[in-house]
Amino acid sequence: MPKLNMVKAINLALHEEMARDPSVVILGEDVGRVGGVFRVTEGLFEKFGAQRVIDTPVSEAGIVGCAIGMAINGLRPIAEIQFSGFMFNAFHQLNCHAARFRYRSWGHYPVPMVMRAPIGGGIRALEHHNDSEEALYVQSPGLKAVYPSTPAAAHGLLLSAIRDSDPVMYLEPKRVYRAPVEEVPEGGDAWPIGKGRIVRPGKHITLVTWGAMLQETLEAAEKADQELKIACEVIDLLSIVPMDTPLIVESVSRTGRCVIVHEAQAACGVGAEISARLNEQALLRLEAPVARVTGWDIPYPFFAREHGFLPNVPRILKAIDQTMAF
Amino acid sequence: MTLSMTYREAIRAALRDALQSDPRVFLMGEDVGRYGGAFACSKGLLEEFGSERIRDTPLSESAFVGAGIGAALGGMRPIVEIMTVNFSLLALDQIVNNAATLRHMSGGQFSVPLVVRMATGGGRRVAAQHSNSLECWYAHVPGIKVLAPATVQDARFMLAAALREPDPVFLFEHIMLYPEHGEVDPNAAAADPFRAALRRAGKDVSLITYGGSLKKTLLAADKLAPLGIEAEVLDLRSLRPLDTAAIVQSVSKTHRAVVVDEGWRTGSLAAEISAQIMEGAFFDLDAPVARVCAAETPIPYAGHLEDAALPQTDTIVRTVAEMMQHHA
Repeated sequence: MPKLNMVKAINLALHEEMARDPSVVILGEDVGRVGGVFRVTEGLFEKFGAQRVIDTPVSEAGIVGCAIGMAINGLRPIAEIQFSGFMFNAFHQLNCHAARFRYRSWGHYPVPMVMRAPIGGGIRALEHHNDSEEALYVQSPGLKAVYPSTPAAAHGLLLSAIRDSDPVMYLEPKRVYRAPVEEVPEGGDAWPIGKGRIVRPGKHITLVTWGAMLQETLEAAEKADQELKIACEVIDLLSIVPMDTPLIVESVSRTGRCVIVHEAQAACGVGAEISARLNEQALLRLEAPVARVTGWDIPYPFFAREHGFLPNVPRILKAIDQTMAF
Repeated sequence: MTLSMTYREAIRAALRDALQSDPRVFLMGEDVGRYGGAFACSKGLLEEFGSERIRDTPLSESAFVGAGIGAALGGMRPIVEIMTVNFSLLALDQIVNNAATLRHMSGGQFSVPLVVRMATGGGRRVAAQHSNSLECWYAHVPGIKVLAPATVQDARFMLAAALREPDPVFLFEHIMLYPEHGEVDPNAAAADPFRAALRRAGKDVSLITYGGSLKKTLLAADKLAPLGIEAEVLDLRSLRPLDTAAIVQSVSKTHRAVVVDEGWRTGSLAAEISAQIMEGAFFDLDAPVARVCAAETPIPYAGHLEDAALPQTDTIVRTVAEMMQHHA
């Protein structure tokens, strides 16, 4: 089985679905002749032609609006937004049209489309290219959102996203686009949307995370084990909407403790929703308050300072230690 | 001595004050001039202050919010009106990537003293694209401040406080509040807009809310009293920053909390408040923090469905009564 990085795994899934289903089309800025700024769509233009791999003008609202029209009319468009920070230009299309069209048409017009976007920080990019705005997709009923952490997850979740009959945000943690490699089966199975996974079992405390932060969280779990003799259970959420609440509640009910790790700023972030759900469904099983380790409550800093903004192993370890001390 | 007026009149009086007291202030938005504002808040201001200071704009939220940012950078004190919060999504790139970041990106050389007012919330049978409460989207964005005047008093005086801020401030006016009557005390003008206000004291449960839900929540507290439940009602007033100390203090006293928030439940402001209570008052909690929020559908057009989708007084009463029963 080939070992692929995340870029190659996503590219493989795109090739497979384009070949399998003639209604799948790709559109976005530089996705065709250039093959995408991160090379994610490389080779697709040459193989499937300009009718199915469409270079668009620089207009995110236009790209998402076109994709909605295509989806309503029977295609399965995959729209690429070059950086998720540019998605703000398309939020009205996303929230007021894509997310609601099935409802407003009494189910006559589902909108089977995927919005792919590199998300998150850590690549020393300039401003507006580092946001982790997944919380805003959570606040848009009608949208689904997945946030894979590894190449195999990226491949399996993209297959599901393309085959889903509703709009799916497919968020690609660009910091781990190329570094980690993993076996990705060609023609492999779709991973169900809405299911998280336990990537490291443990009995003392549950760590919940997603995307690129899985790496730091696993590293912190290893250190907690070696240095503090604390056995951390690590949940990789994979799907932000819908969220695998039963998995989190079951784990935290066993361990009695929970630390949530995410890149976005804390206020009204996805971590708040997880904390609120644990409060509602597992309060009496909790031995300590649920803690959040997040980006600081400031605009994303310039690249020279971004290492101080993102959650890191020492900050996660400190939260684990404090939560255990309760 | 207090003055009696409607919420709408209070907003208009605040706008007039601002325009009279500072020549840098001007108002801009769709239909704010000749038509007097979609909710009649700026009626008469065009005649009084002229078309240089009361500016009708084309239907382009991104353009006129962008123009407001430019004017603020250039030394003006613009007040931009967006007709409803749903339309503000068209300006989200200007708000998140420019208004909220320019101070930071310029190393403090520039600030954006911009005030954006917008109507929010449901209840007027205007369907899926005019009825949302997306305040928590803005409460998620560092670099801006978010206020929600829930009383006529706050409608009268929060605008002046917002204009004094060196950074962008977003004022959310709930559409059902505009015709509400209330008392205005001119001497209370200096109340800090970033502090929550205790609207009713109680010892059994904290009802935490803001904006258009305050009235429903106070009514719920009235209905709970004969059941022997003394509910405390906290009006957040500021959604970013949140008055965490006031929230924690109230819940530490009552040991129970219900958050009433017209936003969609998942990822709501109510979730953030619940998380803060978890972090700040965990050992004081006698029951799980409950959330009374909007149902997670687009807001329906049909009246009975819209009522069912939004938090209502009866839902709040039922939630509290169940909480008290199961976690007495």
